[in-house]
Amino acid sequence: MTTRRKRPAAKKKTARKKAPARRTRARRARRGSFFSGIIGLAVVLGLAGVVGFATYAALLGVEVSREFEARRWDVPAQVFATPLELYPGRRLARDDVVAELRRLGYREAAAADRPGRYRTRAGALDVVTRAYRYGAEEEPSRSVSIEFEGGQVARVIDASGSELPLLRFDPLQIGSVFPVHGEDRLILEPSEVPPLLIDALKAVEDRRFDQHLGIDLKGVLRAAFVNLRAGEIRQGASTLTQQLVRSYFLSNERTWSRKLREAVMALALELHYEKDELLHAYINEVYLAQDGARAIHGFGLGSQFYFGKPLAELELHELALLVAQVRGPTYYNPKRHPERALARRNLVLEQLAEQGIIDPADARAAAARELDVLPEAGRAASYYAAFLGLVRRQLYEEYPRDELERRGLQVLTTLDPAVQAAAESALARELDAIQANRENAPPLEGAVVVTNPHNAEVLALVGSRKSGYDGFNRALDARRPIGSLIKPVVYLAALESGRYTLASPIDDAPIEIQLENGQTWLPKNFDDRARGIVPLARALAESLNMATVRLGMDVGLEPIADLLMRLGLEQRPRPYPSLLLGALGLTPYEVAQIYNSLANGGFRTPLKAVRAVVSEDGERVQRYPLEIMAAARADDVYALNTALVQVMEHGTGASIRRALGSDLTVAGKTGTSDDLRDSWFAGFTSDRLVVVWVGNDENRPTGLTGATGAGRVWSSVLRAIDTMPYTAPPPPEILLTWIDFDTGLATEPTCPRAVQIAVPRGEEPPFARACGDVRPRPGVQIRRFFRRAFE
Amino acid sequence: MNRHTLILSLLLATAGCSTAQPLIVTAPRPAPAARVPAPAPDETEAARGPDTRREPAFPPPAMEVRPLPPPATPVEPPPQTAPASVALLEQSRSQRAAGSLTAAASSIERALRIDPNNAELWLELGEIKLEDDDPLQAEQMARKALTLAGGDRVVAARAERLLARAASCARGGC
Repeated sequence: MTTRRKRPAAKKKTARKKAPARRTRARRARRGSFFSGIIGLAVVLGLAGVVGFATYAALLGVEVSREFEARRWDVPAQVFATPLELYPGRRLARDDVVAELRRLGYREAAAADRPGRYRTRAGALDVVTRAYRYGAEEEPSRSVSIEFEGGQVARVIDASGSELPLLRFDPLQIGSVFPVHGEDRLILEPSEVPPLLIDALKAVEDRRFDQHLGIDLKGVLRAAFVNLRAGEIRQGASTLTQQLVRSYFLSNERTWSRKLREAVMALALELHYEKDELLHAYINEVYLAQDGARAIHGFGLGSQFYFGKPLAELELHELALLVAQVRGPTYYNPKRHPERALARRNLVLEQLAEQGIIDPADARAAAARELDVLPEAGRAASYYAAFLGLVRRQLYEEYPRDELERRGLQVLTTLDPAVQAAAESALARELDAIQANRENAPPLEGAVVVTNPHNAEVLALVGSRKSGYDGFNRALDARRPIGSLIKPVVYLAALESGRYTLASPIDDAPIEIQLENGQTWLPKNFDDRARGIVPLARALAESLNMATVRLGMDVGLEPIADLLMRLGLEQRPRPYPSLLLGALGLTPYEVAQIYNSLANGGFRTPLKAVRAVVSEDGERVQRYPLEIMAAARADDVYALNTALVQVMEHGTGASIRRALGSDLTVAGKTGTSDDLRDSWFAGFTSDRLVVVWVGNDENRPTGLTGATGAGRVWSSVLRAIDTMPYTAPPPPEILLTWIDFDTGLATEPTCPRAVQIAVPRGEEPPFARACGDVRPRPGVQIRRFFRRAFE
Repeated sequence: MNRHTLILSLLLATAGCSTAQPLIVTAPRPAPAARVPAPAPDETEAARGPDTRREPAFPPPAMEVRPLPPPATPVEPPPQTAPASVALLEQSRSQRAAGSLTAAASSIERALRIDPNNAELWLELGEIKLEDDDPLQAEQMARKALTLAGGDRVVAARAERLLARAASCARGGC
């Protein structure tokens, strides 16, 4: 190919040589005008080039300035957990409080002498809290001693020696609503930037920052020299301004045009802004780490990400590690490449000492320290992936994306980090244990929702066994048949009808239901055994299917569907008979909404994850106040809840109740769907509702009942959280009474099958002749009692 | 030569003057793909036989007899109320006196997180709602307080008064 091409070219040359002399002469004659033409053209082209380049430069200048202005305070909404509150009587032991403080990035020290430090003593804890703003409220830093007695907070004493009724800590930042392109940052005010950081950045990254004009020609030469002599890259010559530009446009290509662009933009920035403005922007902008989909920008967030504490609290060796990351957070990743990170950090320390910024002895001491970065588990951000998913959903309903991603809003949420940690570890641990004991079982997954029923605040949300990652959020999105979890609603509808009490008899015998499609439905009990006539309380406690279907058909499907809506279900279920046994697909979150209304004594409150949204300056606050709505009569719900306590004492929840291993009174219900595909448990105490789902993502049978799967996780969560036994004062029109569990007749508390239930005054069942006797004592109320039941 | 002229002349003479160095910018990695959710129960499920499955074993005939939990103790008189709630109640009252109803409500909500079964706190919140022109919520808070009052006649009476006032406000006769 090459040779063939050459030959014609050679011929051409020869041909040109043979060109007539006449022409050459003519050309010579025109040469003068030709050269002046070339010069003219060059001038024109040169001018055009200058104009063109100036235009190009001006356009780039405009572009970079616009970016600078836009990004200067461009900060994603920050999301905070509920703050830790300590007060006398709070059931938290010293070590529980220490665990919470560690989550907040407080460090143990020989003396609690500055914010973020604590010291433990026998039965006490000294701590200096951080100053912070929560919503519109400013809290100063306080130096306090907390004394503990019997696993409780006994006293909180401030520096002046007086007792505080209440102490609130700074809230844990659990993440931010960062934009789709994944950049997360936490903007620092100039006053929040330690002077050492500024000196260190200049010393390590750009020594001539104060003199150069955005690009540093001397620096380039010096760096080349230094690097040549050292035989390695010890110094770069990109100025901080150039790095800032590069960071704005997220480009890694190493082309001359890119470098030209970058240099022009750097010069333009220097033209428009002061040095300290540029440096400050750099500190808030520089890329420092990658956390899954989230890019960590700026030293404020970098400090939180690597060390879990504010920049101001960093020690020298920690600050040096952050400065070291500037060169390449991937290459110098302290988790993946600790030796590289350590070497780079110590090089930074060495350079700082060389330039007289820090004392050489301090540099040596700092170089001897560990990296001290947080373990993986201590990372705040994606750790609360499921809960943050809920927060985003609630926020996106009301706020434009742009506002959430750029305006620096503070989102105050309801997440309780201790409850969340308990729920996550309970789910992971119990599912591991269940799986370990069963071979060939399909992989199990699960979800947990924990609320405070009184205000419907979501305290914890777990969407997966592996909770630290973004992924399918089963708590919000896994819609599964709820099985027997529906039964309390059927029984509540029965109580509301006024035709039944918990003592009323219902026949647990085979029943045939004609369906609309012409088929006949024959519901059966779990063990195929019919119990015969039983009181409602027992039918619910033992989750008897035939009795429940008979009851539900008598009460009517429409009232039951209506009641579900009143309790908080958003879509009206179709009133098919199978609804009575829970052929209704709901998410754990929807189940929590319904059960929250029961746990709240019949008051419906929309579940909420966001308490308030505060503008960056703290001036404007959008609160989501507590609102409640009576959804069912308090008397009926009270009675139902006493029956749900009996589920746990004598019914399908008894094994779960025993697993609690304490005297904690709880109310709850198991649920199991067809072929043991879904295992549910929903239950509550006086101040916590916990809903658990366990199943398989491909909807395969798991071999688990509500009690053996979800119930096990549930009791594990309950054991780990601070909660009070279920209790409620009986309404005036309600009477607590003892009945025989088999017959529903009133009986002495000392009888072997006696259980206590709540019935409306005047509707008490007749007394049995003796313990366990099916015959009531003669009396006028008998006929009325049975007539009501069988009407 | 002043700074700006120097910059302009540099603009004209500019070439990419920076040496290469380890990069400071890395594009974020894509988010891990979400798991495919399991199929939701289909329409035919309603027609299928529902839950007839095994639930835990029938309890042994000899049952442990346990009474229901004792009814919650009435929250009044105040000495039984936790000092934290008292402090927040006082804080709320001074905020209310200063005309900041939002802050006052917020303080009560904070107290209710500590002491949710305290009827007095619910009443207080109801009274704030009434003052804030929300008789509907005032009524609901009074109802909630009533369910927690137990045998406490003082609280019950205060709740009834709030109910009556809320009702008259709702009719426009505040």
